[in-house]
Amino acid sequence: MKKGIKKRAAALILIMTCIVAACSGCKKSEEEKELNLYTWDGMFPQEVLDGFEDETGIKIYYSNFDYDEDMLAKLEETKGGDYDLVIADDYIIELAIKEGLVQKLDKTKISNFSNINSLYQGQFYDETDEYTVPYGAGIPLIVYDPAVVGFEITGYADLWDASLKDSVAIIGNYRVIDGIALKTMEESFNTEDLSVIEAAGEKLKELAPNIRVINDNNTQDFIISGEVSAAFLYTSQVNQALAARPDLKVAYPKEGLGFGIMAAFVPSMAPNADEAHQFLEYILRPEVSAKCFEYIGYYCTNKAAEEYISEELKDVLVVPESVTEGEIIQNISEEAEELHSKIWNEFKAECD
Amino acid sequence: MTMKKRKNKSIYLMLVPIYAFTIIFVLFPILYMILLSFLSKAEVWGVVKEVTLDNYKKITEPLYIKTFLDSIKLAAISTGFVVLLGYPFGYFMAKLSKKWKRRMMELIMVPFWTSGLMRLYGWIIVFRSNGTLDQILMGLHITKSPLKLLYSYEAVVVGMIYALMPFMVLSVYSSAEKMDWTLVEAARDLGATKFKAFITITLKQTMPGLLSGVILTFVPSMGMFFVADLLGGNKIVLVGSVIQEQLTKGRNLPFAAAMSVVLMLLTTMLISLYKRVTGSGEMEGLV
Amino acid sequence: MKKNSKLTNFYLALMIIITYIPIVITVVYSFNESKISTIWSGISLKWYEELFRDRDMKEALRNSLVLAFFCCSLSAIIGTLGAVGMSKVKTKANHVIEYLATIPIMIPEIILGMVFLAVFSLLSIPFGMTTLVIAHTSFCIPYVLLNVKARLAGMDGSLEEAARDLGAGRFRAFIDIVLPLITPAILSGVLLSFAMSFDDVVISIFVTGPKVNILPVKIYTKIKTGVTPEINALATVLLAATVLLLFLSGWIGRRAGRFENKEDGNEERN
Repeated sequence: MKKGIKKRAAALILIMTCIVAACSGCKKSEEEKELNLYTWDGMFPQEVLDGFEDETGIKIYYSNFDYDEDMLAKLEETKGGDYDLVIADDYIIELAIKEGLVQKLDKTKISNFSNINSLYQGQFYDETDEYTVPYGAGIPLIVYDPAVVGFEITGYADLWDASLKDSVAIIGNYRVIDGIALKTMEESFNTEDLSVIEAAGEKLKELAPNIRVINDNNTQDFIISGEVSAAFLYTSQVNQALAARPDLKVAYPKEGLGFGIMAAFVPSMAPNADEAHQFLEYILRPEVSAKCFEYIGYYCTNKAAEEYISEELKDVLVVPESVTEGEIIQNISEEAEELHSKIWNEFKAECD
Repeated sequence: MTMKKRKNKSIYLMLVPIYAFTIIFVLFPILYMILLSFLSKAEVWGVVKEVTLDNYKKITEPLYIKTFLDSIKLAAISTGFVVLLGYPFGYFMAKLSKKWKRRMMELIMVPFWTSGLMRLYGWIIVFRSNGTLDQILMGLHITKSPLKLLYSYEAVVVGMIYALMPFMVLSVYSSAEKMDWTLVEAARDLGATKFKAFITITLKQTMPGLLSGVILTFVPSMGMFFVADLLGGNKIVLVGSVIQEQLTKGRNLPFAAAMSVVLMLLTTMLISLYKRVTGSGEMEGLV
Repeated sequence: MKKNSKLTNFYLALMIIITYIPIVITVVYSFNESKISTIWSGISLKWYEELFRDRDMKEALRNSLVLAFFCCSLSAIIGTLGAVGMSKVKTKANHVIEYLATIPIMIPEIILGMVFLAVFSLLSIPFGMTTLVIAHTSFCIPYVLLNVKARLAGMDGSLEEAARDLGAGRFRAFIDIVLPLITPAILSGVLLSFAMSFDDVVISIFVTGPKVNILPVKIYTKIKTGVTPEINALATVLLAATVLLLFLSGWIGRRAGRFENKEDGNEERN
């Protein structure tokens, strides 16, 4: 019997070795131009990546991070090397620039730079537009099922309504969620007044009985499947929810909107900075850009691309003027940030 | 004499890889983590060289103490159920015929080789409102409205048991498999009851397996949090999720390190307590 | 040794069935036409087509296999040698090393990932396959070590002694007597290691380099942006491959076994 197992083990190892050998055999040996792209999964449709590779002969290595901060950690440890082009959220870019991990763009290489919608330029993280190219914007919104929710939701405060007991799903970003409590108190998302944040924490605890799920990913699934009757979602999730269930309604909270921008930058020691610029030039082309935004489902940050976006998606991808009055969540003082994290954890414990 | 010397030398050689690897790639990183836990957070990222005990002081805040207690509670409950369900499985599995032993082993391993996340999503599809289970029950007119099974403490415990069970089964199995069954028969012949024979002979012989099973279950369950996040709807705050949040959104490396150090010490203490209570301190094993 | 009763066999069967419920669901939903994993809208093979077109996925699978191979072999060798060595040389240091070796499965993956990131950059090891192998090996060793130790604990040393008395060299005695006895434990340790390596997301995200995508990270990041049935299709394909592999190794093992038995028989007759 022992012999049998030994034979099996040997056979298994043999097969595995063969597979590995076969696999490493198919490695490309030729030296070629490359681009190391570092962002979340699903930020580009495959045809756009393929199109770039075919046109330029540059091979794209697309790798992913989980949180913005993972990316920052990686850049810190590699001193801004290893990666050529990063796409991340606004607030983390501010920090990366502060840490000297980002290089200035050579705009002579990006003739399409002028296609960018100026609404998204001159923002707090890059006031002079020297470092970044915006790539999509978003606003968390409330989506609800009018057939189940007995009233019209118009603002964040409606999520506190007693009739929504155990039937609300929310995203898991604490600055955003603590922020909506602040908004119901007519305060700014970015307040650094500790007593105000403390009060928001108390307000948030009253929301706890209504919370069924807190989840940062695929939050739209809960409203699509009917697990919850109202959900507070990111833009791309809002669009997915509406695509799957046209009967759902969207509310633009009257207390004021939160607003976020994603942008691309080239790390300070990027090994292939030229290729990164080429890629930026490519994705800023109006027709390519339109394809990208239709795919990722965030608001289009490319003015010239708007006319290329298909009619049925125009409504959801081209931002309404009113929306731009939204407030961007920015980096705040350490004490305030820490308090945010604390009231958030207390809120979660209350939900249990 | 010379013979003996040579013998020992070759045995020491066997120990070189594990000593070297553990010291370079485990001890060194752990020491680094401990060092971090005594430093202060830099403004944007990393640490500044200012020695402080603040990170440990912060852990004594009621919120974090509760988090630790909740994590221990969940790990203990899950491990308890895993022992109750997994021990008999491993034990009975060892009594199967040779052919079935092999098949069982394969049946246990195959799901393990698919993505753990995918398996959790499979459960979510089954248990969510209007999911597979609800549809079956409502189709059979057993229930009228969707049962809200997910996003509760029970769902998390079930998920933990599911994720950790194979470790227990395999450990118990490998120790029951080499058990000397004649001893059990002898005890029975000498008039011991089934129960007595089990306690005095079987349990004693399978103790190393049970012990390593408990360790392989309890230890990871202390730091595990993705099950609680997915099946519990993120509503249970565990040490693992606090550490994650401090490292990411909080960018507070030193505090996360301090929490990890405490978690490490706590787990170690609980394991050695467990060994003392079960009287397995003499045995080969951890700590 | 007594055979199991009907009741205990029923218990074994029941547990196995429960284990397979989510797997079956995963497989079934890989044929779902709808992109949304929570709605069933008809049978389709399009997700398989998409999967086979996905170049990144193939590359990630290849990298993951290479990684698992190196990490499993390394942990098997280090873990087994360590366990056997420790059972022979009893020093206090063993307990310390053994404790240290289990720390990687004790603390949450994310802090370990973060610390590895810092340490590798301190040791200036370039991020990529090497760092992945080291990191994965660190959390795979305990599975082999603990398994083999549990098997060795209380094992009868007299057999090996006898072999030595009969003049077998230390090495031969180890290969012929000890190794066969602990092979099942090594094997189950390696199988677990393989599973852990194939499933690790958090540590891998931190220690991987720009050109090495691996499967669990790919699956995880894809799930984050929406559970597409493509992932279900991938899980199904992996499952099928695993079953095939087991079947194949069983078949080869049996054939080799039969061949050897025949040889043994001949010898006896001679």
